[in-house]
Amino acid sequence: MKKIIPIFLLLPLLGLLSLTEFSNSLGNIDSQKPVREVLTALGEPQPDHFISSMPAKASIEIGENIVFTGTAESVSLQSPHFVCTSCHNVEKEFADLRDTDPQKRLEYAVENDLPFLPASPFYGIVNRTSWYNGDYEKKYGDLVIPARKDLRAAIQLCAVECSQGRLLKNWELESVLGYLWTLELKMEDLAIPENEYPKFENGNSKNTASLIADLKSYYPQSSPAHFVTPPEDRRTGYDVVGNAENGEKLFNHSCLHCHQDQRYSFFELNDSKITKKFLGKHFPKYSRYSIYQVSRHGAPSHPGKRAYMPQFTKEKMSDQQIEDLRAYLE
Amino acid sequence: MKGIFTLLLMGCLFVGYSQNPNTRDLVYRTFKDTRVINTQSVETLPARKLDIRISHRFGDLFGANGGWGTFYGLENAADVLIGADYGITDNLTIGLNRTKGAGPLTRLVNTNLKYKILGQGISSGSPVTLTVLAGSSIATSKKIDDPELLTSFPKTAHRFMYNFQVMIGRKFSDRFSLQLTPGFVHRNLVTAADENGLFSLGLAFRLQVTKVLGIITDATIPFSSLRTTERGYYIPLGVGLEIDTGGHVFQINLTNATGLAPADYIPNTRSNWADGQFRMGFTISRLFNL
Repeated sequence: MKKIIPIFLLLPLLGLLSLTEFSNSLGNIDSQKPVREVLTALGEPQPDHFISSMPAKASIEIGENIVFTGTAESVSLQSPHFVCTSCHNVEKEFADLRDTDPQKRLEYAVENDLPFLPASPFYGIVNRTSWYNGDYEKKYGDLVIPARKDLRAAIQLCAVECSQGRLLKNWELESVLGYLWTLELKMEDLAIPENEYPKFENGNSKNTASLIADLKSYYPQSSPAHFVTPPEDRRTGYDVVGNAENGEKLFNHSCLHCHQDQRYSFFELNDSKITKKFLGKHFPKYSRYSIYQVSRHGAPSHPGKRAYMPQFTKEKMSDQQIEDLRAYLE
Repeated sequence: MKGIFTLLLMGCLFVGYSQNPNTRDLVYRTFKDTRVINTQSVETLPARKLDIRISHRFGDLFGANGGWGTFYGLENAADVLIGADYGITDNLTIGLNRTKGAGPLTRLVNTNLKYKILGQGISSGSPVTLTVLAGSSIATSKKIDDPELLTSFPKTAHRFMYNFQVMIGRKFSDRFSLQLTPGFVHRNLVTAADENGLFSLGLAFRLQVTKVLGIITDATIPFSSLRTTERGYYIPLGVGLEIDTGGHVFQINLTNATGLAPADYIPNTRSNWADGQFRMGFTISRLFNL
């Protein structure tokens, strides 16, 4: 009996210790707590695209199906050419969301076995306040005006113009939005030093505005987009020295994502010598097979064959990375 | 005869059920197109892809009916195919096309049902890709009131012809693919001196020269004592170049076959390469997402 009593006393203690060891909290703020909830507690109003309840027929599951497969039950494909994940990851793409350097994005993609894509990730997209920024106006004109301040309008613009499909029905749109809200940023996603946490949990009416601004500084509110051109002289290329090893990573995580087994493209690529020789040979040429051409200008869609390749902005693929690809393929 | 084919098809389907082609990594594109030149390849269309096809066979390049008089056959059309295939699933393709017809029966409406049973594994699994095809052709030409002619069509059923093929292909490397095609053609109405059923064996290969350019060849050997060179029949043999620019496959070829439908060219090729009776042909194929 004397032996049993200490064991009974020790067991709850061990339980408490294990909770301490494995609990996932940062101060009083749960690391899994959505950033939006912390902002709301600090007095930030909910964004217009926040969903408090779903309309009939809509569901997060349907939204997820549309994002991954382009369809939900008993409706036609949103687009016969692409699905959302052709161009968007649903995972985080940076270790530190503030640092959007394309090379760090590539390294993160390689480390986490993600594709390296031309569009912004869905992870955290509901936390942004602007979409279709920068030079997308050059591509889509006035269509970007409503899309820049309204995520629903941005989704519809993407559905019709980017994926060359149809407008989403309202219940489909709300379903997609519902799914995107499952990908909202959590406090643990932000690179906030631990000693900074208390100020967000102990905010008071005097400094909430600066606290909100401070918290928002840990993640981008928008995704800058600059369209850039191929090098003036394609034979000499951009004025940097390519790294073939890095180029191989790009080829595997970017080019092959769409082109391998003609997943989204009619133009098949693989890691054979024939393919690499072909791409290397055309790299410096002024042709539609030149990666300078398609990475910076994309490939156009045609009537009756509307699948196309979107271009990579400067923020999504650097000149250095394009030279890395060239070094690998040549 | 029918029993043997039924058993063969059942056997293939059994193997297919036991080895689902979608469950492991498979070799991609043993051939670039669903056809080689005259024969079908092991390839099926991906799901929801529509393939609009136009094929053409000109007249004899040389020989009595070729040369300058016909501008080396370009002024004649031995056969023309216009049609489409559609991928219901990645492994099941249906097709409908119309050919002019180069044999005794013309104005053919052809249908085909093609199913990929096995895919060649990349590192393990099946060493070959196995696809079966069942097709029918119906001659829609006018009925001619002469019982000596096949086109007298005593019964509507006499307008029908069928073909069955088992395609066994292997991609040996990124550059070289080979295919064997045992097949059977059945024509409901033939002349008294002919036979309704005809077995054949097709052989095809593809050699990838560059990323977009390949050399293709195929031949189909009919097994029949009635289909000999002494009787004026020759093995349909084609060689060609295939250009794949992505979504658009263009093929230019030379072949002694005049017809395009299997039930047409396999029993009815009477042109001889050695006599200059081969022709230029081309196929334009364009894929659409639906």
